[in-house]
Amino acid sequence: MRPYELTVAEAAEAVRTRRLSPVELVDSVLERIEHVEPRLRAFTTVTAGPARRAARRAEDEIAGGFLRGPLHGIPAGLKDLIDVAGTATTASSRVRADHRAEADSTVAARLTAAGAAFVGKTHTHEFAYGLTTPQTGNAWDLGRVAGGSSGGSAVAVAAGAATFALGTDTGGSIRVPASLNGVVGLKPTYGLVPRYGVTSLSWSLDHVGPLTRTVEDAALVLAALAGHDPRDPASVAAPAVDYRPGPGTDLTGLRVGVPRNYYFDRVDPEVEASVRRAIERLEELGARAVEVEIPMTRYIQATQWGLMVPEASAYHERTLRAVPDLYAADVRVLLEAGELMTAGDYLRAQRARTLMRQAWLEMLEDVDVIAAPTVPLTAVKAGRSSVTWGDGEVESVSDAYVRLSAPADITGVPALTVPVGRDTAGMPIGMQLMGKPFGDATVLRVGHAYELTGTALGLAPAA
Amino acid sequence: MPAPDLTPPEAARWAARSGLPLAPDRHAEVALTADHIHSVVSVLRELDFGDTPPATAYRAGGERHDASV
Repeated sequence: MRPYELTVAEAAEAVRTRRLSPVELVDSVLERIEHVEPRLRAFTTVTAGPARRAARRAEDEIAGGFLRGPLHGIPAGLKDLIDVAGTATTASSRVRADHRAEADSTVAARLTAAGAAFVGKTHTHEFAYGLTTPQTGNAWDLGRVAGGSSGGSAVAVAAGAATFALGTDTGGSIRVPASLNGVVGLKPTYGLVPRYGVTSLSWSLDHVGPLTRTVEDAALVLAALAGHDPRDPASVAAPAVDYRPGPGTDLTGLRVGVPRNYYFDRVDPEVEASVRRAIERLEELGARAVEVEIPMTRYIQATQWGLMVPEASAYHERTLRAVPDLYAADVRVLLEAGELMTAGDYLRAQRARTLMRQAWLEMLEDVDVIAAPTVPLTAVKAGRSSVTWGDGEVESVSDAYVRLSAPADITGVPALTVPVGRDTAGMPIGMQLMGKPFGDATVLRVGHAYELTGTALGLAPAA
Repeated sequence: MPAPDLTPPEAARWAARSGLPLAPDRHAEVALTADHIHSVVSVLRELDFGDTPPATAYRAGGERHDASV
């Protein structure tokens, strides 16, 4: 096995026991990037020099007996909304052509302190305002969408061009591309991972989290990211828990909520069948399936848009007036039209969010996790704009991709996507596991137990 | 009763009142998108919010976890 193929946990063990040097590991990943990047286009910038310097520093420290932890010397990609001091945060936008971050974001600083080596910044749908990331090809089929907005991060991890990566999730932007590329993605509980230094799409809904090839890896990265930072007003102190799941697969006594409404409506039959098989597997591990009714579903999209649209327009107020032509057409018109929303509409969305949180907390009293599809359909061919469902309803691809992931952003509950198979076209399918607020360790435990039954997809062919 | 569609000149006027002057070739597209957004978010008017406060000071668990800070 070549070093770039290793998971975080495997690489950490090899580094810890001195069977692999961080320099060899980072070189291997950089070579892999050189090989796959011309076709995948997952990165806005590859930072080979700084990555090699970080690797040499890690090698020296470890040789001197100073091991920082499981991320020491591990190659990582950062979605290019995340500030690293002295480098551009392009947001994959011409608006940011001359940008230079003055300070590290909290998450970049924490990963640096943990010893990670940043191999590059990854593509996002421009300013995270979209679900496809058109610059980047899907790691399993270049002619299909990467998903978004953290498309570059998902594709890089799927292809072995980063051992792990960070993304952001406002309506599904970690979980959607993770699902479409067959990797693991975790949207942590709102407030658990500080967003200071991360370009905002919507303050009410933005989250930062890991994309990895295994659930265990997501736990290792989350442990390095979580914790209070007063520079993010939504940040809270992390509960003192060990996120790393144990070795066992026994889920006896665990209650898995299976939605009777919403999450299996207008879902591709192959996606539904794979997710229901995965739920049966959780039952075989000892879990008990409990039917749940998802509350207030009629108001999910309205609440999501009511929060996100005006907040995004507010964030971009100055640049939309100064350099409107530099935005991509799809983002520009949303930002412009968002200026026309009333304060009344925005406040209704904020109040609806309060009601939805309460209704979800009541629903979650009866279960430990909820299992559902992450997205209703796998990666579509690039350029396809709509999907027609069996009942004749036509839905835009973006609306479809965000439909099942948005509730966890509105309510703030932790949500993990794990690969559960592939469809007949060979495209990955993801199952979403949602938990109680600050129950991140529980969704990781369940996802890990499922994964231990032999379900990880391995590296994508990367065309 | 549903609100009538926003006309392109109305969209331009509303945008100007928000401090966003729109070039004439933007009016129709912005009106269409603003109408679509309106059709999505206006469904929230069905809800009786009573005394429900907005979630602007938001805590996912409904309480502060940083009380010791």
